[in-house]
Amino acid sequence: MLTGVISLIAIIAGIIILLFFIGIGIYNSIVSLRNKVDNSWHQIDVQLRKRYDLIPNLMETVKGYAKHERETLQNVINARKMGIDAKTVKEQAKAENMITDTLKSLFALSENYPNLKADQHFLRLMEQLNGIESNIAYARQFYNDMVMKFNTRIQTFPGNIFARMFNFLSRDYFEIEEVSAREPVKVKF
Amino acid sequence: MYEQIASNRAKTVFIIIGFIIFITLVGFAIGYYLDWRGISNNYSIILMIFALILAVIMSFSSYYYSDRIVLSLTGARPISREENPRVYYMVDGLSIAAGLTIPKIYVIGDEGMNAFATGRNPQKGVIVFTQGLLDNLNDEELKGVISHELSHIKNYDILLGTIVVVMVGMITIISNIIFRSFIFGGGSRRRSSKGSGGGILSLILIIVGILLILLSPIIATLIRLAISRNREFLADSTGALISRYPAGLANALKKISMHSEVKTASSATAHLFIANPIGEKSKVMFKSLFNTHPPAEERIRRLEDMSLGVGIK
Repeated sequence: MLTGVISLIAIIAGIIILLFFIGIGIYNSIVSLRNKVDNSWHQIDVQLRKRYDLIPNLMETVKGYAKHERETLQNVINARKMGIDAKTVKEQAKAENMITDTLKSLFALSENYPNLKADQHFLRLMEQLNGIESNIAYARQFYNDMVMKFNTRIQTFPGNIFARMFNFLSRDYFEIEEVSAREPVKVKF
Repeated sequence: MYEQIASNRAKTVFIIIGFIIFITLVGFAIGYYLDWRGISNNYSIILMIFALILAVIMSFSSYYYSDRIVLSLTGARPISREENPRVYYMVDGLSIAAGLTIPKIYVIGDEGMNAFATGRNPQKGVIVFTQGLLDNLNDEELKGVISHELSHIKNYDILLGTIVVVMVGMITIISNIIFRSFIFGGGSRRRSSKGSGGGILSLILIIVGILLILLSPIIATLIRLAISRNREFLADSTGALISRYPAGLANALKKISMHSEVKTASSATAHLFIANPIGEKSKVMFKSLFNTHPPAEERIRRLEDMSLGVGIK
Protein backbone atom coordinates (compact mmCIF):
# COMPACT_ATOMS: atom_id res chain seq x y z
CA MET A 1 0.00 0.00 0.00
CA LEU A 2 2.66 2.41 1.10
CA THR A 3 4.91 1.54 -1.85
CA GLY A 4 1.94 2.12 -4.15
CA VAL A 5 1.44 5.64 -2.79
CA ILE A 6 5.13 6.38 -3.01
CA SER A 7 5.38 5.25 -6.59
CA LEU A 8 2.26 7.26 -7.48
CA ILE A 9 3.84 10.36 -5.95
CA ALA A 10 7.07 9.62 -7.80
CA ILE A 11 5.23 9.31 -11.11
CA ILE A 12 3.34 12.55 -10.56
CA ALA A 13 6.54 14.33 -9.53
CA GLY A 14 8.23 12.92 -12.63
CA ILE A 15 5.46 14.22 -14.88
CA ILE A 16 5.60 17.66 -13.24
CA ILE A 17 9.38 17.83 -13.69
CA LEU A 18 9.03 16.72 -17.32
CA LEU A 19 6.34 19.34 -17.99
CA PHE A 20 8.54 21.94 -16.35
CA PHE A 21 11.41 21.18 -18.70
CA ILE A 22 9.13 21.12 -21.75
CA GLY A 23 7.83 24.48 -20.56
CA ILE A 24 11.34 25.89 -20.36
CA GLY A 25 11.96 24.69 -23.92
CA ILE A 26 8.83 26.36 -25.27
CA TYR A 27 9.51 29.57 -23.36
CA ASN A 28 13.06 29.73 -24.70
CA SER A 29 11.95 29.10 -28.26
CA ILE A 30 9.47 31.98 -28.02
CA VAL A 31 12.15 34.29 -26.66
CA SER A 32 14.56 33.29 -29.41
CA LEU A 33 11.91 33.97 -32.06
CA ARG A 34 11.22 37.34 -30.49
CA ASN A 35 14.92 38.15 -30.66
CA LYS A 36 14.89 37.18 -34.33
CA VAL A 37 12.03 39.60 -34.92
CA ASP A 38 14.00 42.36 -33.16
CA ASN A 39 17.10 41.55 -35.14
CA SER A 40 15.24 41.56 -38.45
CA TRP A 41 13.75 44.93 -37.49
CA HIS A 42 17.26 46.16 -36.96
CA GLN A 43 18.05 45.14 -40.56
CA ILE A 44 15.24 47.36 -41.81
CA ASP A 45 16.39 50.15 -39.53
CA VAL A 46 19.91 50.06 -40.98
CA GLN A 47 18.51 50.63 -44.47
CA LEU A 48 16.12 53.34 -43.29
CA ARG A 49 18.98 55.26 -41.62
CA LYS A 50 21.00 55.10 -44.82
CA ARG A 51 18.10 56.67 -46.62
CA TYR A 52 17.66 59.41 -43.98
CA ASP A 53 21.35 60.24 -44.36
CA LEU A 54 21.12 60.61 -48.14
CA ILE A 55 18.00 62.77 -48.26
CA PRO A 56 19.55 66.09 -47.00
CA ASN A 57 22.28 65.62 -49.56
CA LEU A 58 19.68 65.12 -52.27
CA MET A 59 17.77 68.20 -51.11
CA GLU A 60 20.86 70.39 -51.47
CA THR A 61 21.52 69.11 -54.97
CA VAL A 62 17.94 69.58 -56.15
CA LYS A 63 17.69 73.06 -54.62
CA GLY A 64 20.57 74.16 -56.80
CA TYR A 65 18.54 73.49 -59.95
CA ALA A 66 14.88 73.64 -58.97
CA LYS A 67 14.42 76.37 -56.39
CA HIS A 68 10.75 76.85 -57.11
CA GLU A 69 9.61 73.34 -56.33
CA ARG A 70 9.39 74.23 -52.66
CA GLU A 71 6.32 72.11 -51.98
CA THR A 72 7.74 68.84 -53.31
CA LEU A 73 10.97 69.38 -51.41
CA GLN A 74 9.13 70.21 -48.22
CA ASN A 75 7.05 67.02 -48.55
CA VAL A 76 10.18 64.90 -48.66
CA ILE A 77 11.64 66.70 -45.66
CA ASN A 78 8.39 66.29 -43.70
CA ALA A 79 8.17 62.61 -44.52
CA ARG A 80 11.77 62.11 -43.43
CA LYS A 81 11.08 63.85 -40.13
CA MET A 82 8.01 61.65 -39.61
CA GLY A 83 10.14 58.58 -40.22
CA ILE A 84 12.79 59.65 -37.72
CA ASP A 85 10.17 60.47 -35.09
CA ALA A 86 8.15 57.28 -35.62
CA LYS A 87 7.66 55.23 -32.47
CA THR A 88 5.71 52.17 -33.63
CA VAL A 89 6.10 49.83 -36.59
CA LYS A 90 2.83 51.10 -38.06
CA GLU A 91 3.92 54.74 -37.86
CA GLN A 92 7.28 53.81 -39.30
CA ALA A 93 5.71 51.91 -42.20
CA LYS A 94 3.43 54.84 -42.95
CA ALA A 95 6.29 57.34 -42.89
CA GLU A 96 8.52 55.16 -45.07
CA ASN A 97 5.76 54.74 -47.63
CA MET A 98 5.46 58.51 -47.66
CA ILE A 99 9.17 58.96 -48.20
CA THR A 100 9.07 56.50 -51.08
CA ASP A 101 6.12 58.33 -52.64
CA THR A 102 7.56 61.82 -52.20
CA LEU A 103 10.92 60.71 -53.59
CA LYS A 104 9.13 59.26 -56.59
CA SER A 105 7.42 62.58 -57.30
CA LEU A 106 10.74 64.35 -56.81
CA PHE A 107 12.41 62.10 -59.37
CA ALA A 108 9.46 62.57 -61.73
CA LEU A 109 9.90 66.31 -61.32
CA SER A 110 13.53 66.10 -62.35
CA GLU A 111 12.26 65.33 -65.85
CA ASN A 112 11.46 69.05 -66.15
CA TYR A 113 15.01 70.11 -65.31
CA PRO A 114 17.47 68.79 -67.91
CA ASN A 115 20.43 70.29 -66.01
CA LEU A 116 19.43 68.47 -62.85
CA LYS A 117 18.91 65.24 -64.76
CA ALA A 118 22.41 65.53 -66.16
CA ASP A 119 24.03 66.23 -62.79
CA GLN A 120 26.37 63.36 -61.94
CA HIS A 121 25.90 63.84 -58.23
CA PHE A 122 22.12 63.73 -58.60
CA LEU A 123 22.28 60.60 -60.74
CA ARG A 124 24.47 58.85 -58.20
CA LEU A 125 22.14 59.77 -55.34
CA MET A 126 19.16 58.56 -57.33
CA GLU A 127 20.88 55.25 -58.00
CA GLN A 128 21.83 54.84 -54.33
CA LEU A 129 18.30 55.64 -53.18
CA ASN A 130 16.85 53.11 -55.62
CA GLY A 131 19.26 50.49 -54.30
CA ILE A 132 18.33 51.26 -50.70
CA GLU A 133 14.68 51.05 -51.58
CA SER A 134 15.00 47.54 -52.97
CA ASN A 135 17.03 46.55 -49.90
CA ILE A 136 14.25 47.92 -47.70
CA ALA A 137 11.84 45.69 -49.62
CA TYR A 138 14.06 42.65 -49.00
CA ALA A 139 14.54 43.51 -45.33
CA ARG A 140 10.80 44.00 -44.99
CA GLN A 141 10.22 40.55 -46.49
CA PHE A 142 12.54 38.97 -43.89
CA TYR A 143 11.01 40.96 -41.05
CA ASN A 144 7.47 40.01 -42.03
CA ASP A 145 8.49 36.33 -42.29
CA MET A 146 9.88 36.48 -38.77
CA VAL A 147 6.81 38.32 -37.42
CA MET A 148 4.59 35.67 -38.97
CA LYS A 149 6.57 32.89 -37.27
CA PHE A 150 6.54 34.68 -33.93
CA ASN A 151 2.85 35.58 -34.06
CA THR A 152 1.88 32.06 -35.09
CA ARG A 153 3.89 30.63 -32.23
CA ILE A 154 2.27 32.82 -29.58
CA GLN A 155 -1.24 32.52 -31.02
CA THR A 156 -1.33 28.72 -31.29
CA PHE A 157 -1.31 26.10 -28.55
CA PRO A 158 0.77 25.76 -26.39
CA GLY A 159 2.53 29.05 -27.11
CA ASN A 160 -0.65 31.03 -26.42
CA ILE A 161 -0.59 29.91 -22.76
CA PHE A 162 2.94 31.19 -22.35
CA ALA A 163 2.14 34.37 -24.21
CA ARG A 164 -0.60 35.10 -21.69
CA MET A 165 1.56 34.12 -18.69
CA PHE A 166 4.60 36.15 -19.71
CA ASN A 167 2.85 38.86 -21.67
CA PHE A 168 4.30 38.23 -25.14
CA LEU A 169 2.50 40.57 -27.55
CA SER A 170 1.90 40.02 -31.26
CA ARG A 171 4.08 42.18 -33.48
CA ASP A 172 2.86 44.37 -36.33
CA TYR A 173 3.76 43.64 -39.91
CA PHE A 174 5.68 46.24 -41.86
CA GLU A 175 3.11 46.81 -44.53
CA ILE A 176 3.20 48.42 -47.91
CA GLU A 177 0.63 51.17 -48.15
CA GLU A 178 -2.50 49.80 -49.77
CA VAL A 179 -3.23 52.35 -52.43
CA SER A 180 -0.01 53.61 -53.91
CA ALA A 181 2.29 50.60 -53.74
CA ARG A 182 -0.09 47.84 -54.80
CA GLU A 183 -1.52 49.72 -57.75
CA PRO A 184 -0.04 48.50 -61.01
CA VAL A 185 2.52 50.94 -62.31
CA LYS A 186 1.08 53.14 -65.02
CA VAL A 187 3.32 53.60 -67.98
CA LYS A 188 2.71 56.65 -70.10
CA PHE A 189 3.93 57.02 -73.63
CA MET B 1 14.76 23.79 -42.00
CA TYR B 2 16.08 23.42 -38.45
CA GLU B 3 15.99 19.62 -38.72
CA GLN B 4 18.05 19.97 -41.87
CA ILE B 5 20.65 22.04 -40.02
CA ALA B 6 20.78 19.55 -37.14
CA SER B 7 21.12 16.59 -39.50
CA ASN B 8 23.88 18.32 -41.46
CA ARG B 9 25.84 18.99 -38.27
CA ALA B 10 25.36 15.39 -37.13
CA LYS B 11 26.54 14.08 -40.49
CA THR B 12 29.57 16.35 -40.40
CA VAL B 13 30.55 15.02 -36.97
CA PHE B 14 29.95 11.46 -38.20
CA ILE B 15 32.17 11.98 -41.24
CA ILE B 16 34.98 13.50 -39.18
CA ILE B 17 34.86 10.63 -36.66
CA GLY B 18 34.74 8.09 -39.50
CA PHE B 19 37.76 9.72 -41.08
CA ILE B 20 39.75 9.67 -37.82
CA ILE B 21 38.89 5.99 -37.24
CA PHE B 22 39.89 5.15 -40.78
CA ILE B 23 43.30 6.81 -40.62
CA THR B 24 43.94 5.28 -37.18
CA LEU B 25 43.12 1.84 -38.54
CA VAL B 26 45.52 2.29 -41.42
CA GLY B 27 48.27 3.25 -38.94
CA PHE B 28 47.45 0.25 -36.79
CA ALA B 29 47.49 -2.14 -39.76
CA ILE B 30 50.94 -1.01 -40.86
CA GLY B 31 52.30 -1.24 -37.30
CA TYR B 32 50.68 -4.59 -36.71
CA TYR B 33 52.28 -6.00 -39.80
CA LEU B 34 55.73 -4.71 -38.80
CA ASP B 35 55.34 -6.25 -35.35
CA TRP B 36 54.17 -9.51 -36.79
CA ARG B 37 57.21 -9.71 -39.01
CA GLY B 38 59.37 -9.22 -35.93
CA ILE B 39 60.92 -6.08 -37.37
CA SER B 40 59.71 -3.98 -34.50
CA ASN B 41 58.07 -4.04 -31.10
CA ASN B 42 54.79 -2.30 -30.29
CA TYR B 43 54.80 -0.42 -33.57
CA SER B 44 51.10 -1.17 -33.91
CA ILE B 45 50.37 1.00 -30.85
CA ILE B 46 52.92 3.70 -31.69
CA LEU B 47 51.82 4.01 -35.30
CA MET B 48 48.19 3.94 -34.28
CA ILE B 49 48.68 6.84 -31.87
CA PHE B 50 50.71 8.68 -34.48
CA ALA B 51 47.97 8.15 -37.08
CA LEU B 52 45.32 9.23 -34.59
CA ILE B 53 47.13 12.50 -33.86
CA LEU B 54 47.70 13.05 -37.57
CA ALA B 55 44.03 12.38 -38.34
CA VAL B 56 42.85 14.79 -35.65
CA ILE B 57 45.15 17.52 -36.96
CA MET B 58 43.96 16.83 -40.52
CA SER B 59 40.32 16.98 -39.40
CA PHE B 60 40.78 20.28 -37.61
CA SER B 61 42.62 21.81 -40.51
CA SER B 62 40.03 20.57 -42.98
CA TYR B 63 37.31 22.13 -40.83
CA TYR B 64 39.08 25.47 -40.88
CA TYR B 65 40.62 25.44 -44.35
CA SER B 66 38.38 23.22 -46.49
CA ASP B 67 36.64 26.23 -48.03
CA ARG B 68 39.95 27.69 -49.14
CA ILE B 69 41.05 24.31 -50.48
CA VAL B 70 37.83 23.98 -52.48
CA LEU B 71 38.16 27.51 -53.83
CA SER B 72 41.70 26.91 -55.03
CA LEU B 73 40.81 23.45 -56.39
CA THR B 74 38.17 24.98 -58.63
CA GLY B 75 40.35 27.95 -59.57
CA ALA B 76 37.94 30.54 -58.18
CA ARG B 77 39.10 34.11 -57.55
CA PRO B 78 37.41 36.87 -55.56
CA ILE B 79 35.86 39.72 -57.51
CA SER B 80 35.41 43.25 -56.26
CA ARG B 81 32.25 45.29 -56.10
CA GLU B 82 33.58 47.55 -58.85
CA GLU B 83 34.19 44.63 -61.20
CA ASN B 84 30.62 43.41 -61.10
CA PRO B 85 28.24 45.75 -59.24
CA ARG B 86 25.24 43.90 -60.65
CA VAL B 87 25.89 40.60 -58.86
CA TYR B 88 26.92 42.36 -55.63
CA TYR B 89 23.72 44.36 -55.69
CA MET B 90 21.60 41.21 -56.00
CA VAL B 91 23.57 39.20 -53.43
CA ASP B 92 23.28 42.08 -50.93
CA GLY B 93 19.52 42.31 -51.29
CA LEU B 94 18.80 38.60 -51.25
CA SER B 95 21.07 38.07 -48.24
CA ILE B 96 19.01 40.64 -46.38
CA ALA B 97 15.84 38.81 -47.42
CA ALA B 98 17.29 35.51 -46.20
CA GLY B 99 18.56 37.09 -42.99
CA LEU B 100 22.15 36.07 -43.71
CA THR B 101 25.52 37.76 -43.43
CA ILE B 102 26.47 38.95 -46.91
CA PRO B 103 28.69 36.21 -48.38
CA LYS B 104 31.89 36.77 -50.32
CA ILE B 105 31.69 36.46 -54.10
CA TYR B 106 34.15 34.48 -56.21
CA VAL B 107 34.27 33.80 -59.93
CA ILE B 108 35.60 30.93 -62.02
CA GLY B 109 36.74 32.06 -65.42
CA ASP B 110 34.84 29.38 -67.32
CA GLU B 111 32.20 29.85 -69.98
CA GLY B 112 30.11 26.95 -68.67
CA MET B 113 27.16 28.05 -66.53
CA ASN B 114 27.35 26.86 -62.94
CA ALA B 115 27.61 28.01 -59.34
CA PHE B 116 28.24 26.67 -55.85
CA ALA B 117 28.54 27.81 -52.25
CA THR B 118 31.14 26.93 -49.65
CA GLY B 119 32.30 27.97 -46.17
CA ARG B 120 32.14 26.40 -42.74
CA ASN B 121 29.24 28.45 -41.40
CA PRO B 122 26.80 31.10 -42.65
CA GLN B 123 29.06 33.90 -41.33
CA LYS B 124 31.90 32.69 -43.55
CA GLY B 125 29.81 31.91 -46.61
CA VAL B 126 31.23 32.19 -50.12
CA ILE B 127 29.26 32.00 -53.35
CA VAL B 128 31.12 31.07 -56.52
CA PHE B 129 29.77 31.78 -60.00
CA THR B 130 31.24 30.92 -63.35
CA GLN B 131 31.78 33.83 -65.69
CA GLY B 132 29.46 32.10 -68.16
CA LEU B 133 26.64 32.15 -65.61
CA LEU B 134 27.04 35.85 -64.88
CA ASP B 135 27.18 36.66 -68.59
CA ASN B 136 24.23 34.58 -69.78
CA LEU B 137 21.54 34.84 -67.14
CA ASN B 138 19.12 37.75 -66.85
CA ASP B 139 18.39 39.41 -63.49
CA GLU B 140 15.50 37.20 -62.44
CA GLU B 141 17.37 34.00 -63.33
CA LEU B 142 20.52 35.10 -61.54
CA LYS B 143 18.45 36.00 -58.47
CA GLY B 144 17.03 32.47 -58.56
CA VAL B 145 20.52 30.95 -58.59
CA ILE B 146 21.73 33.26 -55.80
CA SER B 147 18.71 32.32 -53.66
CA HIS B 148 19.43 28.63 -54.23
CA GLU B 149 23.02 29.08 -53.06
CA LEU B 150 21.95 31.22 -50.11
CA SER B 151 19.69 28.42 -48.93
CA HIS B 152 22.63 25.99 -49.10
CA ILE B 153 24.47 28.44 -46.84
CA LYS B 154 21.51 28.77 -44.50
CA ASN B 155 21.06 24.98 -44.22
CA TYR B 156 24.74 24.31 -43.44
CA ASP B 157 24.90 22.19 -46.61
CA ILE B 158 28.09 24.08 -47.35
CA LEU B 159 29.92 22.76 -44.29
CA LEU B 160 29.08 19.13 -45.00
CA GLY B 161 29.66 19.37 -48.74
CA THR B 162 33.00 21.13 -48.34
CA ILE B 163 34.36 18.82 -45.64
CA VAL B 164 33.42 15.81 -47.74
CA VAL B 165 35.49 17.20 -50.61
CA VAL B 166 38.59 17.38 -48.46
CA MET B 167 38.15 14.15 -46.48
CA VAL B 168 37.28 12.02 -49.47
CA GLY B 169 40.05 13.74 -51.37
CA MET B 170 42.61 12.85 -48.69
CA ILE B 171 41.48 9.22 -48.56
CA THR B 172 41.66 9.03 -52.33
CA ILE B 173 45.16 10.48 -52.31
CA ILE B 174 46.29 8.02 -49.62
CA SER B 175 44.83 5.05 -51.47
CA ASN B 176 46.31 6.25 -54.75
CA ILE B 177 49.78 6.54 -53.23
CA ILE B 178 49.45 3.09 -51.73
CA PHE B 179 48.19 1.43 -54.88
CA ARG B 180 50.78 3.09 -57.07
CA SER B 181 53.69 2.32 -54.79
CA PHE B 182 52.39 -1.22 -54.62
CA ILE B 183 52.44 -1.57 -58.38
CA PHE B 184 55.75 0.21 -58.94
CA GLY B 185 57.30 -1.13 -55.74
CA GLY B 186 56.43 -4.66 -56.76
CA GLY B 187 57.92 -4.12 -60.20
CA SER B 188 61.22 -2.67 -58.99
CA ARG B 189 61.58 -5.42 -56.44
CA ARG B 190 61.50 -8.01 -59.15
CA ARG B 191 63.99 -6.14 -61.23
CA SER B 192 66.48 -5.19 -58.55
CA SER B 193 65.73 -8.09 -56.17
CA LYS B 194 67.22 -6.24 -53.22
CA GLY B 195 66.10 -8.86 -50.73
CA SER B 196 63.35 -8.82 -48.17
CA GLY B 197 62.96 -5.01 -47.83
CA GLY B 198 60.79 -4.59 -50.90
CA GLY B 199 58.79 -7.66 -49.97
CA ILE B 200 57.85 -6.27 -46.60
CA LEU B 201 56.88 -2.98 -48.09
CA SER B 202 54.67 -4.53 -50.72
CA LEU B 203 53.00 -6.77 -48.14
CA ILE B 204 52.21 -3.76 -45.98
CA LEU B 205 50.77 -2.08 -49.00
CA ILE B 206 48.70 -5.13 -49.82
CA ILE B 207 47.21 -5.08 -46.32
CA VAL B 208 46.44 -1.39 -46.45
CA GLY B 209 45.13 -1.82 -49.96
CA ILE B 210 42.77 -4.55 -48.83
CA LEU B 211 41.70 -2.36 -45.93
CA LEU B 212 40.92 0.44 -48.35
CA ILE B 213 38.97 -1.88 -50.59
CA LEU B 214 36.96 -3.07 -47.61
CA LEU B 215 36.30 0.49 -46.55
CA SER B 216 35.47 1.87 -49.96
CA PRO B 217 31.73 1.27 -49.49
CA ILE B 218 31.97 3.59 -46.49
CA ILE B 219 33.73 6.19 -48.60
CA ALA B 220 31.00 5.90 -51.19
CA THR B 221 28.42 6.33 -48.44
CA LEU B 222 30.16 9.49 -47.30
CA ILE B 223 29.89 10.96 -50.75
CA ARG B 224 26.28 9.97 -51.02
CA LEU B 225 25.50 11.50 -47.63
CA ALA B 226 26.72 14.77 -48.96
CA ILE B 227 25.04 14.60 -52.30
CA SER B 228 21.63 13.41 -51.28
CA ARG B 229 19.48 14.56 -54.14
CA ASN B 230 16.83 15.84 -51.78
CA ARG B 231 19.31 18.49 -50.76
CA GLU B 232 19.05 20.10 -54.19
CA PHE B 233 15.26 19.96 -54.21
CA LEU B 234 15.19 21.48 -50.74
CA ALA B 235 17.55 24.28 -51.74
CA ASP B 236 15.40 24.91 -54.82
CA SER B 237 12.25 25.36 -52.76
CA THR B 238 13.91 27.34 -49.96
CA GLY B 239 15.54 29.47 -52.63
CA ALA B 240 12.16 30.14 -54.20
CA LEU B 241 10.95 31.32 -50.79
CA ILE B 242 13.82 33.79 -50.61
CA SER B 243 13.45 35.18 -54.12
CA ARG B 244 9.64 34.81 -54.07
CA TYR B 245 9.87 33.93 -57.74
CA PRO B 246 10.30 30.20 -58.50
CA ALA B 247 10.10 30.80 -62.25
CA GLY B 248 13.41 32.69 -62.08
CA LEU B 249 15.32 29.63 -60.91
CA ALA B 250 13.32 27.36 -63.24
CA ASN B 251 14.33 29.43 -66.25
CA ALA B 252 17.91 29.58 -64.99
CA LEU B 253 18.02 25.78 -64.71
CA LYS B 254 16.73 25.47 -68.26
CA LYS B 255 19.64 27.57 -69.50
CA ILE B 256 22.19 26.01 -67.15
CA SER B 257 21.32 22.43 -68.07
CA MET B 258 22.25 23.19 -71.68
CA HIS B 259 25.82 24.03 -70.79
CA SER B 260 26.86 23.37 -67.20
CA GLU B 261 30.32 21.89 -67.72
CA VAL B 262 33.13 23.45 -65.70
CA LYS B 263 36.66 22.47 -66.65
CA THR B 264 38.13 22.87 -63.18
CA ALA B 265 35.45 20.73 -61.50
CA SER B 266 36.20 17.11 -60.65
CA SER B 267 34.28 14.20 -59.20
CA ALA B 268 35.48 15.37 -55.78
CA THR B 269 33.81 18.77 -56.07
CA ALA B 270 30.93 17.96 -58.44
CA HIS B 271 28.34 17.56 -55.69
CA LEU B 272 28.80 21.16 -54.59
CA PHE B 273 27.58 22.67 -57.86
CA ILE B 274 24.01 23.68 -58.67
CA ALA B 275 24.05 21.49 -61.78
CA ASN B 276 26.36 18.66 -62.75
CA PRO B 277 29.63 20.30 -63.83
CA ILE B 278 31.16 17.15 -65.32
CA GLY B 279 30.64 16.49 -68.99
CA GLU B 280 28.61 13.66 -70.46
CA LYS B 281 31.58 11.43 -71.28
CA SER B 282 32.79 10.81 -67.75
CA LYS B 283 29.26 10.61 -66.46
CA VAL B 284 28.34 7.43 -68.29
CA MET B 285 30.46 5.13 -66.20
CA PHE B 286 29.03 6.10 -62.84
CA LYS B 287 25.69 7.22 -64.06
CA SER B 288 23.57 5.20 -61.65
CA LEU B 289 26.13 5.05 -58.88
CA PHE B 290 27.08 8.68 -58.52
CA ASN B 291 24.23 10.67 -59.87
CA THR B 292 25.09 13.79 -57.95
CA HIS B 293 22.23 15.87 -59.24
CA PRO B 294 18.55 15.19 -59.80
CA PRO B 295 17.49 15.55 -63.44
CA ALA B 296 17.00 19.19 -64.38
CA GLU B 297 13.57 18.46 -65.89
CA GLU B 298 12.31 17.21 -62.54
CA ARG B 299 13.64 20.26 -60.68
CA ILE B 300 12.14 22.62 -63.25
CA ARG B 301 8.80 20.82 -63.05
CA ARG B 302 8.68 21.15 -59.25
CA LEU B 303 9.57 24.84 -59.41
CA GLU B 304 6.92 25.48 -62.03
CA ASP B 305 4.38 23.69 -59.83
CA MET B 306 5.36 26.06 -57.06
CA SER B 307 4.80 29.14 -59.16
CA LEU B 308 1.44 27.78 -60.24
CA GLY B 309 0.55 27.57 -56.57
CA VAL B 310 0.34 23.77 -56.56
CA GLY B 311 3.20 23.73 -54.09
CA ILE B 312 5.41 20.90 -52.89
CA LYS B 313 5.55 19.39 -49.49
